[in-house]
Amino acid sequence: METDQLEMKQASLSALASLLNLTALPVIGFIFLLFVYKQTQPHTLGRYYAVLGIKTNLAAAIALIIVTGLMLVLGGFQSPWTWVFVISYFVFVHALFILFATWTLVRSWTGKKLTRTFLSK
Amino acid sequence: MRETFTKGMARNIYYGGAVFFFLVLIGLTVDTVKSLPQTDNSENMTELVIEGKRLWEENNCIGCHTLLGEGAYFAPELGNVYTRFGEDTENIKAFIKYRPVDGIPGRRSMPQFNLTEEQLEALAQFLKYVDGIKTARNWPPNDQG
Amino acid sequence: MKYESQAVAKLYFIAAIALFVGQILFGVTMGLQYVMGDFLFPEIPFNVARMVHTNLLIVWLLFGFMGSAYYLVPEEAERELFAPWLAKLMFWIFLVAGALTILGYLLVPYARLAEITMNDLLPTMGREFLEQPTITKIGIVIVALAFIFNIGMTVLTGRKTVINLVLLTGLVGLAVFFLFSFYNPDNLVMDKYFWWFVVHLWVEGVWELIMASLLAYVLIKVTGVDREVIEKWLYIIIAMALISGLVGTGHHFFWIGTPDYWQWLGSIFSALEPIPFFMMTLFAFNVVNKRRRDHPNKAAVLWALGTAVMAFLGAGVWGFLHTLAPVNYYTHGTQITAAHGHMAFYGAYVMVVLTMISYSMPLMRGQKAGNIKAQVVEMWSFWLMTVSMVFITLFLTGAGIAQVYLQRYSDDPLPFMVVQEKIAIFYWLREAAGLIFLIGLILYIYSFFAKGKEVEFAEA
Repeated sequence: METDQLEMKQASLSALASLLNLTALPVIGFIFLLFVYKQTQPHTLGRYYAVLGIKTNLAAAIALIIVTGLMLVLGGFQSPWTWVFVISYFVFVHALFILFATWTLVRSWTGKKLTRTFLSK
Repeated sequence: MRETFTKGMARNIYYGGAVFFFLVLIGLTVDTVKSLPQTDNSENMTELVIEGKRLWEENNCIGCHTLLGEGAYFAPELGNVYTRFGEDTENIKAFIKYRPVDGIPGRRSMPQFNLTEEQLEALAQFLKYVDGIKTARNWPPNDQG
Repeated sequence: MKYESQAVAKLYFIAAIALFVGQILFGVTMGLQYVMGDFLFPEIPFNVARMVHTNLLIVWLLFGFMGSAYYLVPEEAERELFAPWLAKLMFWIFLVAGALTILGYLLVPYARLAEITMNDLLPTMGREFLEQPTITKIGIVIVALAFIFNIGMTVLTGRKTVINLVLLTGLVGLAVFFLFSFYNPDNLVMDKYFWWFVVHLWVEGVWELIMASLLAYVLIKVTGVDREVIEKWLYIIIAMALISGLVGTGHHFFWIGTPDYWQWLGSIFSALEPIPFFMMTLFAFNVVNKRRRDHPNKAAVLWALGTAVMAFLGAGVWGFLHTLAPVNYYTHGTQITAAHGHMAFYGAYVMVVLTMISYSMPLMRGQKAGNIKAQVVEMWSFWLMTVSMVFITLFLTGAGIAQVYLQRYSDDPLPFMVVQEKIAIFYWLREAAGLIFLIGLILYIYSFFAKGKEVEFAEA
């Protein structure tokens, strides 16, 4: 494969792994993502999306596991109000991460990075 | 997009999938309708019960209440109100009969429907019939509905 | 606007927006009744406000679908509409019949309305969303038949594109499944089973075909992406919608006295129902990313992307939350249902109609896109309505979780009314969000009148 094609493949594979980790294949998706990262070269599109995927999923782990865990510990499993916050927060934040990962996946298909302005070409 | 998966293939999946699963739905419907007598309490569906269902509809009770979980969420579930009110149709009739015309100040209020004795009896019998429907896992989870 | 007859859509869209305003006014009324229980009692009891709110929603969306079809089909079929006079006539008939029905709900006790409209001859009144008198329902069928005839003849004698055919299929399906509203058996379980053949097979079935085809149309127009690509996506999306949604109807057959196997079938198939919405999100993002032109109507692009995202969140994610039988056992008929219902309807159907209006209205007024100020105001209204809907949903979700815990899950369950008192705070917050939604809607209407600098259209 040409360099460009390989980069594109690595980019979209990274983005896909990131999305899978957030949805159907937690942990396995992350391991796959690390695997792809290892194969990428510095300063390439593939490396960019791999790093982005790793950062996204680490942030998600903190936001979804640590913060939720804290809510449960501080609020107590028995209180209905703990569950109100935990479930609402988890669903909403998880959905936002999935949307972000979906957006990066689609963006990776164009061979470009994310940009500051949402839809610039 | 890879050219191995063509528009024609997508179209065929749509046609095939739609027809196949529509037929499955029809088949399951036939089976469900055939099995209903085992659970639907239709043996207790008297003329009075049917009159009660008509009254339930004409007064739009579903506009505030749920019945087997379906309807509006303003007022309590009534599928099991017969059980909740001590398996006594008189309690159900009394509740409907004594709704104040101007409601209860500051609280969610139920209209006064000015039903006759016979209509009240029909409605209560309808709710008793609904309570007797054998729902899966004996839904709702408890008497509160 | 390539064909003169596309202009009939304008009538339909204006009516749609007017009815939308009515819907929301009654919505905020109900929101207040949730916390001030006797507000407007006994003149407008909650159930009357509710049937006005839900019926207006359905009718304005129907006006929106019809207007969208009248705009889109002549252009896709590359010919004028078959009978513009019929479209105009049906518009007035539908509008007057709808207005009379709503007035009937408001001015007369429902039981009396049933009497006046001779419900006894063929009783179809008194079921949720199908509160219309039987004569109104017959009127709806006549209007629908005339509409399908008009659109159908236009397609059949013109160019048959995938978009045209998928839209037509969805609309025919809408009309056919509406016929189940005339079937009202005495057996309550049968009643409930077939009621879903209208409601589920509409909103989780044929309406998805309508939505997907409208979205595909707007995306072709604003991005310039190759039709072949978009049509392939369209087929995949609607294939997944029907493959998941047909047997997925079973997620309404868990607790109504139907056989136990529905808990398995309904759960498994309906768990797949988010897939077409996820695909629409991928699809919309992808074609906008790969666009060949920067269309001057930025507002329309925003609505299109927003539709895909909100439909995925509201219908897909929130739907999935309570679709599995073991969860639904506890959440059935609670505020969780209301939370999902609001975001799903707004995200999928309200937004796709507003997308079509956003794209086509300027063209019907003789411009490629609204002026800069109008678009900015419109985009503000998009954000206000969309973000406030997210909050409405989050607050009702909170209310629902508390309700489920206290009334259904707890070992010592509390009565319904006691629980409602305890979760009142969520309802107050919801009402506040609802008022912001209304402000967003008012801004939306203002956007049609705002004057400003015209946009330039640079060819790609």
